[in-house]
Amino acid sequence: MRYLTGLAAFAALASPAAAERITVTGEAIDTWCYFSGVMGGADAVQGTAHHTCALWCAAGGIPVGLLAEDGTVYMVLKIAADDAANGGDMLLRIASHVITATGEHHVRDGINYLIVNDVVADAGIVNLTHEDYGVVPDFAIPEPKE
Amino acid sequence: MRMIAGLFAAALALPAAAQDFSAGSEAKEWGLLGEEKARFEAKVVDLLCELAGDCPADCGAGRRQLGLLRAADGALIVPMKNGQPLFTGAATDLFPYCGKDVEVDGVLVGDEEQTPAKFYMVQMVREVGAADWARANLWTKDWAARNPGPAAEEGPWFRKDPRVNAKIAESGWLGLGLEADEAFLKEYFQ
Repeated sequence: MRYLTGLAAFAALASPAAAERITVTGEAIDTWCYFSGVMGGADAVQGTAHHTCALWCAAGGIPVGLLAEDGTVYMVLKIAADDAANGGDMLLRIASHVITATGEHHVRDGINYLIVNDVVADAGIVNLTHEDYGVVPDFAIPEPKE
Repeated sequence: MRMIAGLFAAALALPAAAQDFSAGSEAKEWGLLGEEKARFEAKVVDLLCELAGDCPADCGAGRRQLGLLRAADGALIVPMKNGQPLFTGAATDLFPYCGKDVEVDGVLVGDEEQTPAKFYMVQMVREVGAADWARANLWTKDWAARNPGPAAEEGPWFRKDPRVNAKIAESGWLGLGLEADEAFLKEYFQ
């Protein structure tokens, strides 16, 4: 019996984990700049300061994440029927927006994933980081020609 | 037996990248947070299929994000970035290998205070057993094929991308609208 219990525990952990239905509110972020530190601190690569770069990265196929208030980042794999998480139009539409989404939450090897069933609210871009950080990276906005 | 099962369970629950995969790596260093060189064998998987059993026959035809199921420990690694310093992800470069066993070389990144697992930048990839590596730099070639007009113009892709430029024209560089942009830019470039 103990042997079977051990096997069951192993099988449960080795198989795809069961999804949990959740509702989460967070900002749609560019995950590479956020986790790699390539542009500096995490606070500077959110919101308005980083909006142009967030568009580039979303269009470039870098995974978009939902940064929740508690700091958890959910990797967005699908939004409703749209599975174009590799640079799809929907990702450009929500870049830097604070949205509330319902969906299936999966956790595997320490990473959180979200399969969004529905975006129930979109507060738009409300994280005004340009007031503190200007533009990140600083070349994102080309200097106007004289 | 319970203890063994418990230890096994604990090992499986460990965040990815707890081991050192730097042996033999020839990856370029980028100086990123928590950066570690990492060369390993893995199966390229469709993340939606792997996690949720949503499995189209063609791995989503390039639309989806892909993962690397590492052979050594079964960890599911998220490749976020290809080898180009151009705001470009890894899924397009890995798509030709979806469902196949590959060897990849690159760097794992991520600070343990921010994330319990590291993410991957793939710089080189080859099928297991193949002699030659391919550089993970297909993204811009794919973009140019999809955007021949802009690709023929001067400048990097992200300055010319029609979708990005349409969004900036609509809601500005900050995303707050053209009026907010105008006021900000006047001060920013003073």
